[in-house]
Amino acid sequence: MSTELAFAHALLRPDAPCPAGLRAWNGSDPVKRYAVYRNNVVVSLVDALADSHPVTQALVGEAFFRAMAGEFARRSPPRSPVLAWYGEGFADFVADFPPAAGLPYLADLARLEWLRVEAWHAADADPLPLAEVAALLADEAALPNLRVTLHPALRVLRSAHPVVSLWAAHQSEDAAGALGAIDFAAAEAALLVRDGLDVALLRVEPGAAAFIYRLQRGDALGAAAQAAAPFDLPATLGLLLRHGAIAAMRTS
Amino acid sequence: MNKTVTAASLALAFGAALSLAAAPAAAQDKMADKEKCYGVALKGKNDCKAGAGTSCAGTSKIDYQGNAWSMVPKGTCEKTASPTSPTGHGQLMAFKEKKV
Repeated sequence: MSTELAFAHALLRPDAPCPAGLRAWNGSDPVKRYAVYRNNVVVSLVDALADSHPVTQALVGEAFFRAMAGEFARRSPPRSPVLAWYGEGFADFVADFPPAAGLPYLADLARLEWLRVEAWHAADADPLPLAEVAALLADEAALPNLRVTLHPALRVLRSAHPVVSLWAAHQSEDAAGALGAIDFAAAEAALLVRDGLDVALLRVEPGAAAFIYRLQRGDALGAAAQAAAPFDLPATLGLLLRHGAIAAMRTS
Repeated sequence: MNKTVTAASLALAFGAALSLAAAPAAAQDKMADKEKCYGVALKGKNDCKAGAGTSCAGTSKIDYQGNAWSMVPKGTCEKTASPTSPTGHGQLMAFKEKKV
């Protein structure tokens, strides 16, 4: 193994010995210095995950979160030099992490927090002006065949757990009180939109989330609305328009 | 399945949606009973001052020590009802350090 490979290999393995052949510029002990560096690698990744997943951490506590995140970091080191993007796959890891099996909602909560990161960093897009939306209504017969280009930051999450309520409870002053009021049998769906420079996390009906998901993957308006479970279509369209989440609508 | 979505019903829905979108903010808040909006701000992860992800900030914690693992849950999950849990509340299994 080359020196570089040996150096990298041992970084994610706490029990591996310090690679051979290292020496410090000032003659200090390379074993100690390597240990500091190895520690910093994982600490920095765990810190990044903690920053991106504050509610996940609040739910399980710092010690548990850091232990879980450290496991993830050692198994799935970053593939991009952009630290803000570190954490993709963390929710899937949490879902399969046996010690967290007692909290069935934890993985979707991590997923929700990751979608916030994605929404935060996604590209900009100008919303379709309301006047142009109004103009499209003139050709009523064409409406069902319109395809909608949604804002690149828009994300939807459909969960079998009340993830939006859980997340929201941790934004309030009285988290414990808010947590007590949550119905854990409730499935919830989240819509994330970036309105200006801020990410808004909105609770939507599951049917509305399914509708938006279908629009996002390219289904025509009529088919998308038809296929979803009953939901309030005017309110959902109003929500999308109000948050500037519709970038274009055109016949395909 | 939704009830049949026709061109006419889509036009009506869009008409209503446009008036929703154009309504003044105060009125919107009242109408948005299905919607709770939480504005959020994420902090940057790039500089040392921000803390996260920088080696200069990392030395304060040691994550490689295995002795921190006999942990008890200290998070809000203990206060969170969980119908699937025998205690009625969220719980975490004891965690054993995995030898890598």
